[in-house]
Amino acid sequence: MRNLNQKEIKKLKMQNCFAENWSKIQVDEEFNVKYVNNVRFYGNIRIGKLNNTVKYSDGLEKHSMIRNADIFNCAIGDNVFISNVKSLSNYRIEDQVIIENVGQLFVEGKSIFGNGYEIEILNEGGGRELKIFDKLTAQIAYMLVLYRHDEKLVRSIEKMIDKYVENEKSEIGTIGKNSKILNTNKITNVKIGSNTIISNVTELFNGTVISNSSAPTIIGNGVIAKNFIIHSGSKIDDNVIIDGCFIGQSVKLGKQYSAENSAFFANCEGFHGEACSIFAGPYTVTHHKSTLLIAGLFSFFNAGSGTNQSNHMYKLGPLHQGIIERGSKTGSFSYMLWPSRVGAFTAVIGKHYSNFDTTDFPFSYINEVNGKSILTPAMNLLSVGTTRDSEKWPNRDKRTDSNKLDLINFELFNPYTIGKVFNGYNKLLEFVEKTDKKVSYVNHNGVKIPRLLLKTTSKYYRLAIDIFIGQSVLKKLDKINLSNFVEAKELFDEDVNFDSWFDMSGLIISTRSSEELQLKIKNNEIKNIDELSYEFNKIFNNYSKEGWKWTLGLIEKYLGIDPKNITADNLINIIEKWKKSSLKLNKMVGKDATKEFNIITKIGFGIDGDEDAKDADFEAVRGTYEGNKFVIQLKEKALEIEEIAEKIMGLIG
Amino acid sequence: MEKEKVEAKVKKTIAKVLEKTESEISSDSNFIFDLGADSMQSLQLIAGFEEEFDIEMDEDEALEIQSVKDAVEFIAGIVNK
Repeated sequence: MRNLNQKEIKKLKMQNCFAENWSKIQVDEEFNVKYVNNVRFYGNIRIGKLNNTVKYSDGLEKHSMIRNADIFNCAIGDNVFISNVKSLSNYRIEDQVIIENVGQLFVEGKSIFGNGYEIEILNEGGGRELKIFDKLTAQIAYMLVLYRHDEKLVRSIEKMIDKYVENEKSEIGTIGKNSKILNTNKITNVKIGSNTIISNVTELFNGTVISNSSAPTIIGNGVIAKNFIIHSGSKIDDNVIIDGCFIGQSVKLGKQYSAENSAFFANCEGFHGEACSIFAGPYTVTHHKSTLLIAGLFSFFNAGSGTNQSNHMYKLGPLHQGIIERGSKTGSFSYMLWPSRVGAFTAVIGKHYSNFDTTDFPFSYINEVNGKSILTPAMNLLSVGTTRDSEKWPNRDKRTDSNKLDLINFELFNPYTIGKVFNGYNKLLEFVEKTDKKVSYVNHNGVKIPRLLLKTTSKYYRLAIDIFIGQSVLKKLDKINLSNFVEAKELFDEDVNFDSWFDMSGLIISTRSSEELQLKIKNNEIKNIDELSYEFNKIFNNYSKEGWKWTLGLIEKYLGIDPKNITADNLINIIEKWKKSSLKLNKMVGKDATKEFNIITKIGFGIDGDEDAKDADFEAVRGTYEGNKFVIQLKEKALEIEEIAEKIMGLIG
Repeated sequence: MEKEKVEAKVKKTIAKVLEKTESEISSDSNFIFDLGADSMQSLQLIAGFEEEFDIEMDEDEALEIQSVKDAVEFIAGIVNK
């Protein structure tokens, strides 16, 4: 870098430029004065080369230049295009950046860029404040928000965050390499990562946009965002309004969505509706108008149109909260009264005016009959939608960033869901024993379970347990080149545990692993956020190993087999049960899929024709049952199940 | 058990679960299309048959039962084994 020479200063003046102090301007050795026009410089300025072109998203190329701008205290990299910028201050602008038609873009005082900003998540009235920052993961947030009963733990994590935030504070912001900021009104105290596209935005205030070449972030038309962190690969567009929000990796918010005091983790999608104080775990999706998500903890949740919850039955302030566990759905215009807790993979249909807790009955339906909440346990196991969802999520992981922050296990049947299924199964059997046949319903935690269904639905839970055990055993056997039972038996000679597991916002984790980590945190064995993330990753990578120990525990509890003394007959029995149950479930899911092709679904097809026209129109639009991709997969899976079972039983027997 | 007796008991169970009068239920009635049962009520019907006849129906085969006629055939097959 060098100072401008007199000739250059003279030229710049001729080109309508002004400097408060020309000696405070430093330029690259190859600086070309030709490309600086009508610019007013204030404070310390550094300018790089202006000898190449910049490229717009539509492929248009323009020569790098700085024109029609007021620039205060900025370090400008090589080959930038800055044009029509009313006020640009206190930024380090990296190479190849385009800033065009922007009102104000400045850092005011020492900024935190959204890091450390506290949001009142889950409880609108506070008490579960979450300090958002650009290394926040769903798992760190879960501990901070949900474990308020352990003050030492929360304070220890907050201390790590405070330390990190302190280092991030600065009077100078960054606009990363290759970023484009176009036609935007006002940006204040915002740190912008490389390859970000900010276009037609109304206002950004106090935030960080993480972005990189493999996962560029886009903020578009009419967006107003205040006090935020927006992560890589996300797209916030079309008049979205957010205030006090953490937006995780590859999240999409658009179509006038509004959110406050909320966190959205990986792959969430929000359109049209409103979020208020929500903890949206990975894959929380709300696409429709009139959908309000409020004061809730969600994970892999799909909110139907008009979904609403109320937490206004309070008298001393809004203190209620709700939990909808992993994989659940709400039907159109469903309503729930908070506090309530919906078990995993449950469909909630209708309006519910009682506070209920169905955590022990996953894969259920909760529907409203005459104002009462009726639970049909295990019904959602048979739904083609459940199978389809579980298969689509891993394929819809849109994160392209090489550093994936949120840890996500995708398996439908895992120690958490099957642990709950096991609880539900035992409870149903207990109800069968205790309930008089004259009784129509069993009341349980705010819902009514039809007595008639107790025995039948317990059989469905049994299917899921048998499938899980078989699946786990087969997965384990698959890892060795099995040739006889002796080799298989060795796999069962391991420590056994039967701790409860849970969904820590994407990560399926045992209480034991969680508690061990908490202890390390409280004992100051973990010094900073990077170390904490590393520990979570270790747990994530140990999932299969720990999960196997739990499966052995389940074999002991459910089948009454001591894993260490397992026999060939025991093992064959496990595989046979797996085969039988998998084929049954496969058949039932297939049966459920036929509903998508029955006479009711054809209503409205072949609009002005006869029955033949109806069938032909339906087939043209929706295809046939036999030709449906999912149905074909189910059939292939059935054959695969038979083959695997035969092969393994042959080797063991 | 005679088929007539099975049918009478099947109709009685359906009437109870779906809150219908037995006269509304014919031998040809389809649970969903004619009697308006939803998927959860269909499940209750199966459970009701199991209880009424003191039998255990195979989970996947039971879901094939869509009408009064299906139920009578299926159940008669089990109780008369």
